[in-house]
Amino acid sequence: MSNIKEVKNELLKDSYYEIDHSSGFKIFVYPKENYSSTYAVFGTKYGSIDTCFKKEGEKSFTEVPEGIAHFLEHKLFESEELDAFARYAKTGASANAYTSFDKTCYLFQCSGNFEDSLEILLDFVSNPYFTEQTVLKEQGIIGQEIRMYEDEPGWESLFVLLRAMYHNHPVRIDIAGTVESISHITADLLYECYDTFYNPANMALAVAGNVTVEQVLSIADKMLKPKESKKIERTFQVEPENVVKTYDERHLSVAMPIFAIGFKENVKTPERTLKESMVSNILLDILAGSTSSLYEEMLKDNLINTTFDTEYFEGYGYSAHIFNGESAEPEKVRERINEEITKVMKNGVDSETFQRIKKKHYGSLIMDFDSIDSIGNSLISAYFNNEGIYDQLKLLESITVEDVNNRLRTAFSIENSSMSVIK
Amino acid sequence: MNKHYTNMANGVKLLCINSEKFKTNCVKVDFYMPINEYFPALNVLASFMGHTSKKYNTVKKFNSKVEGMYDAFFDVSISTVGEKVLIRFTMEVLDDKFTLDGNKISEEAIDFLVDVISNPNCTDEGFDEEFTAREIRFTLENIEALKNDKRAYAVARLRMLMCNNEPYGIDHEKLEKDVKNLDSKALLSAYNYMISQATVVITACGSISENMLTEKFKNFAHSIENRTPAKLETVFVTKADEIRYFTEKMEVNQAKLVIGLRAGMQNNNDNYYAFRVMTDIFGGGPYSRLFTNVREKMSLCYYCGARLVREKGIILIQSGIEEENYEKAVNEIFNQLDIMKKGEFTDDEFNSSVIALSDAFKGVEDSPSALCNFYTAQVFDEELVSGSEFAERISQVTRQQVTECAQKVSVDSVYLLKGEGAK
Repeated sequence: MSNIKEVKNELLKDSYYEIDHSSGFKIFVYPKENYSSTYAVFGTKYGSIDTCFKKEGEKSFTEVPEGIAHFLEHKLFESEELDAFARYAKTGASANAYTSFDKTCYLFQCSGNFEDSLEILLDFVSNPYFTEQTVLKEQGIIGQEIRMYEDEPGWESLFVLLRAMYHNHPVRIDIAGTVESISHITADLLYECYDTFYNPANMALAVAGNVTVEQVLSIADKMLKPKESKKIERTFQVEPENVVKTYDERHLSVAMPIFAIGFKENVKTPERTLKESMVSNILLDILAGSTSSLYEEMLKDNLINTTFDTEYFEGYGYSAHIFNGESAEPEKVRERINEEITKVMKNGVDSETFQRIKKKHYGSLIMDFDSIDSIGNSLISAYFNNEGIYDQLKLLESITVEDVNNRLRTAFSIENSSMSVIK
Repeated sequence: MNKHYTNMANGVKLLCINSEKFKTNCVKVDFYMPINEYFPALNVLASFMGHTSKKYNTVKKFNSKVEGMYDAFFDVSISTVGEKVLIRFTMEVLDDKFTLDGNKISEEAIDFLVDVISNPNCTDEGFDEEFTAREIRFTLENIEALKNDKRAYAVARLRMLMCNNEPYGIDHEKLEKDVKNLDSKALLSAYNYMISQATVVITACGSISENMLTEKFKNFAHSIENRTPAKLETVFVTKADEIRYFTEKMEVNQAKLVIGLRAGMQNNNDNYYAFRVMTDIFGGGPYSRLFTNVREKMSLCYYCGARLVREKGIILIQSGIEEENYEKAVNEIFNQLDIMKKGEFTDDEFNSSVIALSDAFKGVEDSPSALCNFYTAQVFDEELVSGSEFAERISQVTRQQVTECAQKVSVDSVYLLKGEGAK
C-alpha cells in the first residue's frame, strides 16, 4: 500500500499530495484547478558532478568519463523496439529531458492522453537498453551538441570561470563532457551508472496540472516495480579554499567582452541550507540588482548595459556568488563590485532596501505557482535537497537584515574571487 | 461565445480575458506599425521607455517602483511580425488577493503602465538628452550582440539576403548606422508617430475587470483626435525563381546552416493549418523527417528543424553541422523536402504531427502571458480562435492538403556561416 499525505498552504490556497509509493519511489501530485494541461517529471539525483562513486558494500570507488550522466540521458530514450519519442508521438505529449550538475530529469507536458504518456515515461526510464552500436551513433550527435555550446559565449564564460575558481571539484567540468571524454563511454559503463543512480532511494516523480492522485497511482502501480534501493557514496577530492587563478580569458568572436566574476565560498559542509540560499539571493539583489546604486552608476559610467545580472550558484560541495554581463572594461566593473562589497561589509545593508527586496521575493515566489513546469521541477529539486516546496514562503518571513549582513561577511572574500572574460 | 476585440477608439482595440485560476494578472499593450523610416528610432524608443519615464526619471526610481509592486514584471520589447513593427509593453503583476497589506496592486500596476506609455521622459523639444545617448548605446550594443549568438546571427543574415528587396530583409549594418545618427528629437518624432499612427491592441488576462481596464485606458485611447492608423501590409512572395547560395565566414567552431523557403502562401490565412502541419511533419517535433533522418539516422547534427513564419509565408530550416558535411546535410534536407512533395511521408508521421500540434494548443490557456500572446497574434484576423478551436482545425487537416502545401514550397536561399580557417 502507498502512503498518501496532503500538504496544504493556506496563503496560496493550494495543496499537493506526497506519496510514499509501495515500490519505494517518492511521488508528488500537485493538482491545479481548471488547468487543461499536465506536466510530469521523473528525476534522479545524478548529474555531471557524479564522476566518482561507490555503492554500499563495494570496496573501491568507480571513476567514470566526464559527461556520462548526460550521455545516459540521451540513450535512455532508446529501447529494443520503439524509442520513447516514437511512442510519445502517438499520445501527442511534448517530451524532453535535461541534465544539470546534480540531477537528470525526464519530462513531458500534455493536454490529453495523460495516462498513456505517463506510462511511457515510467517505462522507458525504468528499462535501459544500450548497445555498442547505438552508443557510437550518439557520440556523433552529442559531439555536435558540445560543438554548438563552444560557440555560445555566455556558456563558455561560466565554465572558464568555474575552472578558474575550482581546483578539483567536478563542477569545473562541462555537463556534456568533451568530444574526447565521451569517446570512452561504453554500453557497460552506462549500465553501471544506471544501476547505481536509477533506483527508488535516489529518484522522484512529480506531476502538476490537470491531474488527480488516482490517475497517477493507476499508472505508477502498474509500472513502478519494487526495486532495491542503493546507498550511494560520492567522493570529491578536497577543494582548497583559494581559487586556481584570479583571472582567465578565452577568445571567441564577440561584439564586446563578456565577463563573469565569481566569489567562491569556503564551504565547511557540502550543502547550503535553504535559508542560506535565499539570503544569498536577497543579498545579490541588494548589492547589484536593477534597483541598486551600483547598477545605476555602472550604467551611467558606460561600464555595463542592461544584460548585467547576478546569480547564486550552489550545489553539493560548491557555492559561489556570480556577477555577469557585457563590458568594454571588465576590470573596472570588477573594481566597482569589490568596492561596493567592501563598503556594504563595513556599513551594513540598508533596511528600507532590504524590506523592498524581501517583498519582491515574496511576489516572485507566489507567481511561480502559476506555472506547472516550475511547480514540477521545484518539487523534484526541493525533495533532492530534503526540503518542501512551501518552505521558502515560510522561511522568507523570518529572514532579517542581520542574516543578510552575516552572509555577506562569511560567504564573500575578494581574495577568493575569479573573473573570466570572453573576448 | 467567441471572444472578440472591442474598438475603444479608432485604431485602439481591447480584449479582457477573465480567469480566476491564476495568481498573476497580465496586461499587454501592443503598437503595430509598418517597417519604415521610423524603424531605427523605434528601436531606441522601446529601450528608452522600458527604463525611465517622466515620473520615474532614473533607472533606480523606475525599477524600484516596479520591484516595489511585488516584483511585477515590466518590459518593453520591439520585434517584427511579418512586415509590421511591434512595440509591446508587458505588465505582469501579483493578483490582489495575495498582497500582504491588502493593496490593490493590479490597479497600481495598470496606472503605472498607462503613465509610462502616456508620459515619457521628454519635453516638447525632445527626449531627455543624457538618457537618449545612453539608450542609443544600449541599442547599438544590442544590435552588435547578435554576433555573439551565431545561430541567431545566421538566421538574421539569411533573412536579409533572401528578402533583400522586401521590408522584411532588415539590414543590421544599415540599422546600426541609422541608430548612430539619431538624436533626442528623432525619438520624440518616433514617439509621436507611434502614439498617433500605430494600431493599438490592449490584451489582458486574469482577474482584472474589463470595466476597470476600459476606464484606465479611456483617456489614452481618446487622446488623439481622428487617429488614422498607418496601413499594415506584408508582401507574400509565393515562389522563388532559383536557388541562391550564400557562404560567409566568421570565427565559429561549428558551421551554422540556414535554408529559407517560400511556402507559397498568398496571405497569412492561406491554408494556414495545413501549412502548419506540413512544416511540422517536415521539421517540427522528434517525429519529423528532418529529426529522424538528418539527426538520428545520419548523426550529422544535434539540431535540425524547420518552422513556418506565418506572417511572411516563409519556412526557415536551421542546423549546426561540421563544414565538411555541408553538401551531405543540404542534399538530405532537399531529399526530405521532395519526399514531402511526393506525399511519401508516413501515416504515423502525419498522425503524430496532428496530435502533437492539437495537444500543444489545447494547453495555451494555462498561462496568462501565453494566453494574451495567443489572442493578440490573431488581432488582424476576421475571427478569434480559441486554443481548442485551433486544435480542432488542425485535426481537420488531411494528408492530401499537406501534400498540396508541400508542392507549393520552393527553395529560395541556402546560407552557410563557416569558420575563418575554412576553405
